[in-house]
Amino acid sequence: MLSVETDHYILPVSRLRNRTTIAFIVVTNSAGNLLLALGTRSLPAFDVSSLASYLGLALMNGWILAGIAVLAVSMYAQLSMLTWSDLSYVVPMTASGYIFTAVLGHVFLNEGVSVIRWAGIGLISFGVLLVSETGPRTVHEPGGPAR
Amino acid sequence: MRWLYVLITVVAGSIGDLLSAHGMASLGEQRHFRPAGIAGNLRFIFTHPAVLLGIAANAVSFVSFIGLLSVSELSFAVPVTALGYILRTVLAKIFLGELVNWKRWAGVVLVAVGVLLISV
Repeated sequence: MLSVETDHYILPVSRLRNRTTIAFIVVTNSAGNLLLALGTRSLPAFDVSSLASYLGLALMNGWILAGIAVLAVSMYAQLSMLTWSDLSYVVPMTASGYIFTAVLGHVFLNEGVSVIRWAGIGLISFGVLLVSETGPRTVHEPGGPAR
Repeated sequence: MRWLYVLITVVAGSIGDLLSAHGMASLGEQRHFRPAGIAGNLRFIFTHPAVLLGIAANAVSFVSFIGLLSVSELSFAVPVTALGYILRTVLAKIFLGELVNWKRWAGVVLVAVGVLLISV
């Protein structure tokens, strides 16, 4: 099994793994938020003064529970990535989620995208590209001990 | 009121990520995708004070963001909280000693401006 063998070797931090992990974080995060949004449709309007009863209702909603579960998986993936990547690398890279969401909305929901929005998507894409060129880690050597 | 929500959302979220990143770095590089490896990582996450504090701060940030959405438009809430990208980068440089070269600075600023544009 490849997954077993790789645990015994120090592999170079591959670009493929970085991108796969970022894509996984972004897709699970978007899916989780979508489930939360679907769930909140059947809840009363949010009010901080009744936070406890709102949370009580939310935690009995199947969509919201599913959303929390998917977001927890996303969060686990992000925490794992932070064991071999800088925070200042991971955070801007996950902004590619905005590109993903915009393209999905355009392709599947036929959402109109204004010139300004396309410009924003272009800037985010260029920013993500620049950050991706810096490599995931500046603080400690790959495979070496933590700082 | 909405600026209080903005402040809590951005600051708590940034400090939360900073604490999580600091804690996770001390675990060392994780390549485990087997159940036993994942279980070990989860045990680390749920017993490491900095990581737990980071998750708690992110939960505060999340609830505050929901509160912000209840008093403002999405087109205000999303771009203004994009300030968090800048703050996280600054905090990572100062407190985690990460080397933020011009490409990272330019990238994170472009991302923040881009988020602002797609939200207006």
